[in-house]
Amino acid sequence: MANHKILIVDDDPDLRQALRLRLRANRYDTVNAVDGYSAIAVAYKERPDLIILDLGLPAGDGFIVLDRLQRDDKLSTIPVIVLTARDPQSSEQRSLAAGAAAFFQKPADNAELLEVIRATLPKGTAALPS
Amino acid sequence: MSDQPTHVLLIEDNPGDADLVRLRLVECKSAVDVNCAGRLSDGLASLAKDVPSVVLLDLNLPDSRGAETFRKVLEQAPNVPVVILSGQDDEALALKALHQGVQDYLLKGSLTSAGLDRALRYAVERQALLRSLEMSRKQQLEFKNQFLSHVSHELRTPLTCIHQFVTILLDGLAGEVNAEQRDHLKTILKSVNQLGAMVRDLLEASRAESGKTRIEPRCVSIADLIHAAVAMMQAAAHEKGVGLEVGVDTTLPFVHGDPDRILEVLINLLDNGIKFTPAGGAVTVKACAVPSDPDFVYVSVADTGCGIVPEAKALIFERLYQDPNAVDNNRKGLGLGLFIAKELISLHGGRIWVASEPGQGSTFSFTLPLYSLAKLLFPVITYQGCLRDAIVLLKVDLRPQSKPARGNWKETCQRCLDILQRCVYLDKDLVLPPMTSSGPEQTYLVVASTDMDRVPIMMTRIREQLEKVADLKASGELTLSAEPVTLPGPADPLDKQVQEVANRVTEMARLALGPAENSKSARRDAPIAQREPQKMENGKWQIIKS
Repeated sequence: MANHKILIVDDDPDLRQALRLRLRANRYDTVNAVDGYSAIAVAYKERPDLIILDLGLPAGDGFIVLDRLQRDDKLSTIPVIVLTARDPQSSEQRSLAAGAAAFFQKPADNAELLEVIRATLPKGTAALPS
Repeated sequence: MSDQPTHVLLIEDNPGDADLVRLRLVECKSAVDVNCAGRLSDGLASLAKDVPSVVLLDLNLPDSRGAETFRKVLEQAPNVPVVILSGQDDEALALKALHQGVQDYLLKGSLTSAGLDRALRYAVERQALLRSLEMSRKQQLEFKNQFLSHVSHELRTPLTCIHQFVTILLDGLAGEVNAEQRDHLKTILKSVNQLGAMVRDLLEASRAESGKTRIEPRCVSIADLIHAAVAMMQAAAHEKGVGLEVGVDTTLPFVHGDPDRILEVLINLLDNGIKFTPAGGAVTVKACAVPSDPDFVYVSVADTGCGIVPEAKALIFERLYQDPNAVDNNRKGLGLGLFIAKELISLHGGRIWVASEPGQGSTFSFTLPLYSLAKLLFPVITYQGCLRDAIVLLKVDLRPQSKPARGNWKETCQRCLDILQRCVYLDKDLVLPPMTSSGPEQTYLVVASTDMDRVPIMMTRIREQLEKVADLKASGELTLSAEPVTLPGPADPLDKQVQEVANRVTEMARLALGPAENSKSARRDAPIAQREPQKMENGKWQIIKS
């Protein structure tokens, strides 16, 4: 079975690359989006199993993306993990209320992030990485 | 000052004095209109209706005398300038009035028209200046907070980038790393983590300064928190060759506190202790009850480090303080850790202090309030000096159907708790602080001043409200049950009765939540009659199904 596919939404190219390397090393396939607008377009085209979403994005911030994902029948089932530099006190509750499955502040602990990705991915859609 | 007439509220009971003041004011060149009140109560009522430019206040009125008079006026209208007009030349009282916010203290005997006019105009000006200073101070504080919040956000992005790539290299994702390179990378990672902690402290301190720090107190085991903190700091202590010891009384009662924030304080104190203790020394954490102060638990973190000079002891909890004499091979921090610790402990209602001699090590101690159910229950289950007629313990069980993502379920439970708190009567029902549970199941308990006959109505209301939480209906199961609390006889003093109810509720809660070891299997097998729906027996949980 194919690997799980994860969509990384972040406007910072270095952070995208770092996350891609980390996820590939754990046998996940990755696709990228660089802003709020392309996040929805790529999600449509690629149908990822999970989305890792930054909040501070050009062309529609993370909350707008969360809202649009939630409203779309085809995309609303994809779990979203928010990974942001923003302060949890102002954004964590709001992200979870907007439908995010989990919230991490950057820099996130790698082991913890990978564990939550594993727990959040829909079961049975692809082979679990060892 | 503008040409607008000055609206004076004169609070004066002596008609002769009032007329004299009125006369002096009319003689002034400035446009003035005077409104007169003969009693303090009339004056306060007038202040509640509309705001004058200035209040002229006699202190001895039929319904109030002395300092009490100006205190009440300042309380009613804190932004209106108040000038006292008194018959007594009392310097001590005048100073006291000024310190509390009165603008001037004039003597009736030496009143000239020009003097009064000037005193009133200057009082208005000074008050306006004070207000604008206060406003700009607030604006500056707000600006500083926004700036710090922005800065710490912007710093986090490059910080994350360094963190990510260093860990990628360290984990060998970009090829083999030799031992020396690995050491260097670990040094980078350590520095990055320090930087991250500083950025976090910066934001936290600015929040504390503007009173925006929030705590969510629950019923927590301080012993567990100490063990968790020590486990987290063990590696750092070991690396420096410093021993880390724990002496915790195992029978310590629970405290009423925010577990995340208490852990933060403990880690901060341990980190300091390890930092200032040379290799071969030790850091010891202790927690105990103190018989002379029975409402608190005492926690101390003692080190065998360089100690603190007496002059520094008073300053050490101040923001940005760093001991200039501290000889330390480590880098200094921002000097915010102890300031934040003090803020957090104060928010809990506790105290924090340090005892130290230079060269003899330091002992940082803090107190946390004991979790006292009786204290929380007292205002809820008593009414006009008596215990309420009937008290019931309600149990709200939330159980996820399948294993959902933990963020979601935690959020669902939190939202249910918020709603639960809103749909009980604050003056007669109490939602008990939730116990930290290890599993996904969550149980909330409510002590309600009601009898079993009325429980179904209350439960229907709670169920209707909780089922509005969409995720709960989709992914979880809600079970409501209730059990009456047997009330003690009315012969005992009220305090003792409340304590007795608290003891019974505690025992019932212990049974409801399962044995103290909150292992999941133990909880599931807890001897609660919850699998017998619609059956009502004394001393058993009654399940209400809608």
